[in-house]
Amino acid sequence: MTEIDIALKVLDHQILDCDGRRCGNVDDIEIEGGPDEQPRVSAILVGPGWWPQRAGWIGRVARWVAGNERVRVPWEEVADVESGVILRKSAAELGLGRGDDRVRPWIEKIPGAHR
Amino acid sequence: MNKVFGVALGILAAVGGFVDIGDLVFNVSAGAMFGYELLWVIPVGVVGIIVFSEMCGRVAAVSKKAVFDAVRERVGFKAALGTLIASEVVNLMTFAAELGGVAIALQLLSGLPYRWLIVLAAVALTGVIWAAKFEWIERVFGYGGLCLLVFAVAVVKLSPDWGEAAAGFIPHVPQSDGTVYAYFVVGLLGAAMTPYEVYFYSSGAVEEEWTPKDLGLNRANATVGYGLGGFFSVALMLTGATLFLGRGIEPEHLGTIALGAQVPLGEIGLVLALVGILFAVGGASIDTVFSGAYNLAQFCGWEWGRYRTNARAPRFTLTWLVLLALGTLIVLTGVDAVVLTEYAVIFSVVALPLTYVPILLVANDEAYMGRYRNGRLANVLGFVYLIVILIVALSAIPLMILTNLGQG
Repeated sequence: MTEIDIALKVLDHQILDCDGRRCGNVDDIEIEGGPDEQPRVSAILVGPGWWPQRAGWIGRVARWVAGNERVRVPWEEVADVESGVILRKSAAELGLGRGDDRVRPWIEKIPGAHR
Repeated sequence: MNKVFGVALGILAAVGGFVDIGDLVFNVSAGAMFGYELLWVIPVGVVGIIVFSEMCGRVAAVSKKAVFDAVRERVGFKAALGTLIASEVVNLMTFAAELGGVAIALQLLSGLPYRWLIVLAAVALTGVIWAAKFEWIERVFGYGGLCLLVFAVAVVKLSPDWGEAAAGFIPHVPQSDGTVYAYFVVGLLGAAMTPYEVYFYSSGAVEEEWTPKDLGLNRANATVGYGLGGFFSVALMLTGATLFLGRGIEPEHLGTIALGAQVPLGEIGLVLALVGILFAVGGASIDTVFSGAYNLAQFCGWEWGRYRTNARAPRFTLTWLVLLALGTLIVLTGVDAVVLTEYAVIFSVVALPLTYVPILLVANDEAYMGRYRNGRLANVLGFVYLIVILIVALSAIPLMILTNLGQG
């Protein structure tokens, strides 16, 4: 098992799915383990719904604007940590990038959207 | 040979794209108010933007991070969110100012009503961004901006006192009007070191998938592009100095700036100046809306990119459309484009350290950059400019209030 600096290399980094699609940033990290146990990262947390616990009132204001979406991606789904966090599956399978998926049909209605 | 030619064309486009409405307003006004006395600020600002861009380009090439990726990773979520909000506000103001500039240039060229031209300009820009390939947008606006070379010809014809102008490049304290002078120093530095330029530059570098092999290109782009761009600033300030100084004319309108080419060169000078201004501020409008969309998309981790089709980066596309609409509404309120420019430049100076500091830290960080971290020269310059930027950022608003936007 390789050693990864979670605070430096994972938290707040870009997430890429198995197809290289940008599908969010690591907004928070879930850590398991009681006082006498070895703590371990159990999931990465993605979406503006997690912002208030990172940034207090300014995070709440930002959540109010951005929506309350919260996605939990189990750590087992992380394939690699390079300049970004790379996932084993596609964004759709993990419930990520839904905002882009919601907006896309509207953009596609305008001629030339695929140019 | 083809590659050299390509690079040269790219640089030419970058030179043409250097000037934006902030440079136009502050350089000509500084010349009109203080003659040659503020010329020394131009190289200081140009070296500053070279240092900043070079670091951003290097960070992008080595760590694949655009500015707001690096900011968020480095300063943490909360500080990055604050930085994002400040940057987006400043960016929107800058965009609105540029768009106002486009409408004024169109009005002076066509004589049609200003308000209609604001809408026309916004629709035309939307259409161009939506439909045209980015390589073409960059080239067309860059080459069009080269029409501003007419100001260099105008200066030669106006024959300034070259000895006195040369003396202006030596930093000095003025005899009178100290606070207004200081306000112009801050404004000129702010106009040269506009943050949207580096957001745009670094995002492009990530998108073009630069690697450490491209570091030479990065250095050449930054030094030659911005260095030659500074030449325009000098020409504009000299025009303001020779034509307007001591006549009580303060260029409060973009049309007055274009007069700088008309007086010595006649009608053709005026038209070239207006076309140059149109393309320069038009190109800058596009860069600023894109920069706003880059920042938000990078902060949130969305798909983004100027080389992507609109549908492949939906929220990025939606963001620039919304920013364009908001900026248009701001200009439609009838706010004066030149006043808006001054506010945009002054507030961008205040926000400058928020992105400069994280980039300086990342560029210096071995964990990110390995052997490509700042060398001795980049570090000395990086820290000298850190001090310059902090002083300028802290004094910008007090000076703006004290001088009532440089009115004295």
